[in-house]
Amino acid sequence: MTKTAHLFGALLATTVLCGVATPAFAQSGEVNIYSYREQSLLQPLLDRFTAETGITANVLYAGDGLLERVAAEGELSPADVVLTVDIGNLVGAEEQGLTQPITTPALAERVPEAFRDDDGNWTALSLRSRVFYVSKDRVDATALTYEDLASEEWKGRICTRSGTHAYNIGLIAHYIAANGEDKAREWLTKVRDNLAFAPTGNDRGQVKSILDGTCDLAIVNTYYMGAMLNNEAEPEQKDWANAARIIYPDAEGAGTQVNVAGGFIAKHAPNVENANALIEFLLSDEAQSIYADTNYEFPVVPGAPINELVLSWGELKASEVPLTEVAAYRDEAAALVDELKFDEGPQN
Amino acid sequence: MGTGGALAPPVLSLALVLVVGLPILWLSIAALGALGSGSNGLAARMLPTALRETGLLMVSVGLVTGAAGLTAAWLVTHYDFPLRRLFDWALVLPLAVPTYLAAYAYVEFLDFTGPIQSALRQINGAQTIREYWFPDIRSQWGATLVLSAVLYPYSYVACRTFFLMQSTALGIAARTLGAGGTRTFFEIIVPISRPALVVGMTLAMMEVVNDLGAVQYFGINAVTAVIYSTWINRSDFGGAAQLAVTVVLVIGLLIVAEQRARQARAYAAQRDSRVPPARERLGGARRWLACGFCAILFLFGFGIPAGELAYLSVRLWHPQTVALTLGALAPTVTLGLAGAVVTVGLGLLAARLGETGAGPRRELIRLSTLGYAIPGTVLALGLLQPLGQADLWFNRMTMALFDWRPGLILSGSMAALVYVYAIRFLAVSHSTLDAAMRKRGRSMLDAGRTLGAGRLAVLLRVDLPTLMPALLSAGTLVFVEIVKELPATLLLRPLGVETLATLVYSRANVGLFAQAALPALCIVLVGLIPVILASWAGDRRKV
Repeated sequence: MTKTAHLFGALLATTVLCGVATPAFAQSGEVNIYSYREQSLLQPLLDRFTAETGITANVLYAGDGLLERVAAEGELSPADVVLTVDIGNLVGAEEQGLTQPITTPALAERVPEAFRDDDGNWTALSLRSRVFYVSKDRVDATALTYEDLASEEWKGRICTRSGTHAYNIGLIAHYIAANGEDKAREWLTKVRDNLAFAPTGNDRGQVKSILDGTCDLAIVNTYYMGAMLNNEAEPEQKDWANAARIIYPDAEGAGTQVNVAGGFIAKHAPNVENANALIEFLLSDEAQSIYADTNYEFPVVPGAPINELVLSWGELKASEVPLTEVAAYRDEAAALVDELKFDEGPQN
Repeated sequence: MGTGGALAPPVLSLALVLVVGLPILWLSIAALGALGSGSNGLAARMLPTALRETGLLMVSVGLVTGAAGLTAAWLVTHYDFPLRRLFDWALVLPLAVPTYLAAYAYVEFLDFTGPIQSALRQINGAQTIREYWFPDIRSQWGATLVLSAVLYPYSYVACRTFFLMQSTALGIAARTLGAGGTRTFFEIIVPISRPALVVGMTLAMMEVVNDLGAVQYFGINAVTAVIYSTWINRSDFGGAAQLAVTVVLVIGLLIVAEQRARQARAYAAQRDSRVPPARERLGGARRWLACGFCAILFLFGFGIPAGELAYLSVRLWHPQTVALTLGALAPTVTLGLAGAVVTVGLGLLAARLGETGAGPRRELIRLSTLGYAIPGTVLALGLLQPLGQADLWFNRMTMALFDWRPGLILSGSMAALVYVYAIRFLAVSHSTLDAAMRKRGRSMLDAGRTLGAGRLAVLLRVDLPTLMPALLSAGTLVFVEIVKELPATLLLRPLGVETLATLVYSRANVGLFAQAALPALCIVLVGLIPVILASWAGDRRKV
């Protein structure tokens, strides 16, 4: 009994020492990635990257809080590259001083100016758009505008996730940038009152609400349509997606709001060269087509092939409002969401 | 004890309190510091809604769990009805289902495509939900029901223990004087069991405040959700710290209420006759009413959520899911073991310090075990920066001395998490070990010393071996709590580490919960361990 107890104790102590005090990454021939992007998207990209360059990629996947973490870790942070979504996060990282310039020439050669920082502090790696998913059965319209969301016709028929989510903040910030804050307040108030229910759940959940009939128009990112139509692990999601079709808002007017997924090299990156190699790879035609085919996003490099399913949703006419201007109105957008109590749902 | 020993306990006690209190101290300073900046506007803007929604949820869950737990405990201890012996322990099982899992499972169960609504449409021939009425579970009342369904056992256990120890004289007197069962219940049972009830309700309410996953999923702007989004979505640490400190103050009030109730209970328990109450055999419809009531509690708290998870795991069985689950298993177990060892070690220290100490030291020890009441989100928020700073200082020192940079030893490893677990679950290990040490007494230790053994020898050959059962059960309890823990793990986990809980959370939040049913089921199964062990121990005692 005592021998077993001693053995047990020794075993536990070893576990504690080995498991607890070892920082996860070594620092050579490698690149360390903090990623908001999901493993299913990133892994195929990284497998190709490692095969071509021999550089091992270590990844921390997290839905939230990576920038806060890089900031807290400071000069000791093992992060080389941070892959994130939403322009606000990219610009925010630069403002918090978490970035360093990307030096690979591929940046300027392949990424249009609108989709990268002038000093190379961040770059977009793919594009997505926040669009309208409408019920195939209950909606006849083929073209809609952002203004339509505020019209009486859509009373009790619109749904979206929390207004505080980065995707919706981006959309609202875009509206502020294009129309000014006063008009945005009026618009968002009406949108709030047109909601079918208080914002809840995630983007996929909104599409499900179209299937179950609680919602006729869901504000959702484009690529979810592809992800749901091809979800073999949970085939019911195909039914959710099949209940809806995509309309690009303002396609015939000022154009649809476009957001980005992108990345930056961390200020204290231990493997700067490898980090640049990774960014260069992610901008290659090969990687861009993986983004397009695995996650149904739009390539950021002009001329890279677009997935056929994505093409079938129609042509994306991107809004002219510069991304950095959208990012600049992010705080105003968040304050507006709070002020109007958007997340508490319709109030009139 | 030697001369050093005389000084050591007070210093150690104080050190323990400081170590445990570090995150709260840090947050308080950050919150005060942020008063001067712009973020107090944010806290002021978000706080009223957040406090209202959390307060409403706490009160409603407190009342529902109190009523349900008290009634069930009263039925099970005072009456005999079909399946009573089964319910006696089965009613505790919902404790194995963490609140966030209950939320995810109930949404699947009651959703449009779930079994209930699908069956309903089969019957009424409807195509969309607009053609019939169905309540929306993602709401304040939905959260109340779902959280209550898995949190009532706190009141049930507290009241059941109380009834088993309580003299039956009062109840019998009331019946003799002609009061009916119902009147006795409301005029005698409810008032005398108030202390136990308050303890059970407070524990349930603390779980409500701690919860992050369920309120986020239900779209409720509870304080933890607002703290999380203030920090994560708005990068406003100062604002988040202000919100967090407010929450800690609110919890402080709860703790005072609970401590008072505990003292009151000590008084009530003195009258105990230690003879279990004789059970009245219920007849006719009433026996089925009692049975049905317990069955509903069990079904809502365990049957439906666990059943839904099991059903989804089987239906969506996929090699990819199995691989994900297995991948999360090793980090989960490692964290659980490491956390259990450290927490039990600290618990042992605290129990030892409290064993011989005078009043003030006991107070310090009690203060150090209050971490169980602080939400994981708050602890994580309060630890990230100080640990990062400590790493920075340590690295600068090693660079200067040895030209060696060890990296993020604290904040970038599992150590940060083990630290949070130790704070949050110290109460669990301390209370278990404290009880065992009181029961054992000091005579064996003194005998060992008298026979000439050194302090280390006594520790290794007498002290620890005699405490082994308590050490193991404290370790098991802490291990299980760690496996179920979500908010702190989510925010502090090291690079590349995905535990069962964070895996389920991340899948659920991108709309793929059904695919995470298998890891979720694993958490519930682990959660069953202490319940089963406790019921075994209970059986042994009866023999």
